[in-house]
Amino acid sequence: MKLPRINADTFEALQANAGADFVVTLVEAFAEEAPQLIEALRAARAQADAERFESAAHALKSNGVAFGAVRLAEMARHLEWQGASAASEAVDELAAELAAVLSALRTLARRT
Amino acid sequence: MSVQTTALVFGHVELRLAERQLLVDGEPVALGSRGFDLLKALVAKRDRVVGKDELLDEVWPGLVVEENNLQVQISGLRRVLGARAIATVAGIGYRFTLTPGAAEAPAAAPPSAAAVLAPARVLVADDNKVNRLLLCRSLELMGHQVSSAVDGREALDMLKRQPFELLLLDLAMPELDGFGLLQARAADPVLREVAVIVTSALGGVAPVARCIELGADDFLHKPVDPWLLRARVESSLARKQQRDQQSQVLRRLMPNGPAQASRLADACVLVVGLNLPELPEPMQTQALLSDWSTLMLDAVDGRGGEVAQFRGDGLTALFGELPAALGGAQDMAELLASFNDERRAAGQAALAIGVGIARGEVVVATVATAQRAAYACLGEPVLRAEQLAAACLLAGQQMLLD
Repeated sequence: MKLPRINADTFEALQANAGADFVVTLVEAFAEEAPQLIEALRAARAQADAERFESAAHALKSNGVAFGAVRLAEMARHLEWQGASAASEAVDELAAELAAVLSALRTLARRT
Repeated sequence: MSVQTTALVFGHVELRLAERQLLVDGEPVALGSRGFDLLKALVAKRDRVVGKDELLDEVWPGLVVEENNLQVQISGLRRVLGARAIATVAGIGYRFTLTPGAAEAPAAAPPSAAAVLAPARVLVADDNKVNRLLLCRSLELMGHQVSSAVDGREALDMLKRQPFELLLLDLAMPELDGFGLLQARAADPVLREVAVIVTSALGGVAPVARCIELGADDFLHKPVDPWLLRARVESSLARKQQRDQQSQVLRRLMPNGPAQASRLADACVLVVGLNLPELPEPMQTQALLSDWSTLMLDAVDGRGGEVAQFRGDGLTALFGELPAALGGAQDMAELLASFNDERRAAGQAALAIGVGIARGEVVVATVATAQRAAYACLGEPVLRAEQLAAACLLAGQQMLLD
C-alpha cells in the first residue's frame, strides 16, 4: 500500500489547532476506545449485525482521518463499504494497522 | 509600565490616558470628561462586549443615572471616532472595535457580527470519545463553556435540566440517535430555542435534508475542520442571538405570551425610511446599511422605544408617549447629521431620511411558522406614519407628525 501510516501535515495541524498537550490526551483516548471498536467489528461480523459493523468501521474511519492515519482510515472505509460480510482477515489487518498507528501516534505526540 | 502613561493608538485615533486627551488624525478633539471616561472603559475592555450597567458604573460611579445618558455619550463618541468604532450589541452593551496599531498599518477587516458575540453554553453530543474530546477542545479554545453527553438520551436530559445556547449533535449514537433528539426538540418549545449544528460523517444529501427539515440550523461533515467549525458556530450563535432579541421584544410587547396578540390603545408609531442617493456597490451598500441601522436602532433604544419591524433600509418603532417618539426622531436626525459629515469628509454623498410619526390604536400580533417568527404591527397609525415617512422623502423634509 502506498499510503503513509500517518500524514505528518494532518497530525501537525491537529497539534497546532488543539494544542500538543491535548493531543497526547486525545491519542490515549483513541488507544482506549479503538480496541473496543475492533471487538465490536468482530462481534458484529459473527452475528451478521450490519448496522453495528458499519457503525464501528465508520467510527474508526472518522478517528483515523482526524489523526491523519490515512491507511487506517482507508481500510476502515473499505470495511464500512463491504459491511458485515467482509472477510475476517480484513478485520485482522485493520487490527494490526491500528496497533502500529497507536504506537506511531504515541511517539509523534510525545516528540514535541 | 503604568497604563496611565500609555498612549494607545488605533489607526487614526490616539488616546493619551495621562493627559486625558483624544487625538483624531493627529488633531486634539474636545471630549467631555464623561465621554473620555466612557472611551477609556471601552478601550480597556475592548476584548469583549461591555454591559450597559457596567459602563454606567464606570462613568457615573455611585450615581443612579438613566441609560439615556450613556446613549448620548456613545453617540458623541461615534461622532468623533466614526460610527463603526463602537458596535452596539442590542440588549447587552457596547464594544470598541478599532484595531490597535499605527495608522500606517493595513486596515483590518471590519469586525463581523460574530466577533462581538459573548461566550455561549454549548453541549456536545457524540458517542465517539475522540470526536467528543476534539469538539469540546475546539469550542473551549473559542471561549465557550462546554459540556458533553455520550449519547442522545443523556444529551436530551441535560438540555431539559440546564440552559444551553448551542448543541453540536452527532447523528449515529446509541440510546437515542441524532434524528430522535431533533424530533424531541421539535416538539418542545423550550428546546427549540437551542441552536443545533449537526456533525456527522454520514454521506449524501438525504441526512442533511432530513436534519434541516427537523429544524437543525447547520450541518458539518466529519472530520470537522476547526476553521469551518468556528465560522458555523459563530454564525449559528449570531442567528440565535437575533432570534432571542426578537422574542425578548415580543415578550415585552406582549407580556401575555407571544401567542396572544394585543391591542395598544394609544401607541406612537414612528416609521423611518432611508433614501439612498444612488445604489452603491453591494459590499458598500451592506456596510452603509449596517452603519445606518446601528444609528437608527440606537436612537429608538435610547428613547425606550421598541422596534416592531426592521427592513434594513427602514424600520417601524413603537413608543409609549409622544415626547419619546419625537426625541427618537430628533436623535435620528442628529446621528444622521454626524454620519453625513463623515461621509462628506470621505467624498461620499449625504443620505436623507424621512420620519413619520402617528398616534392611535395599533394591534401587535405574532406571525410564527416553524422556521421563522416576526411580529406584525397593524392599524391606521402604522399606515399614516408610513405615508408620512414616504412624503418626507419626496418633499425633502426630515420629519412629519400626524
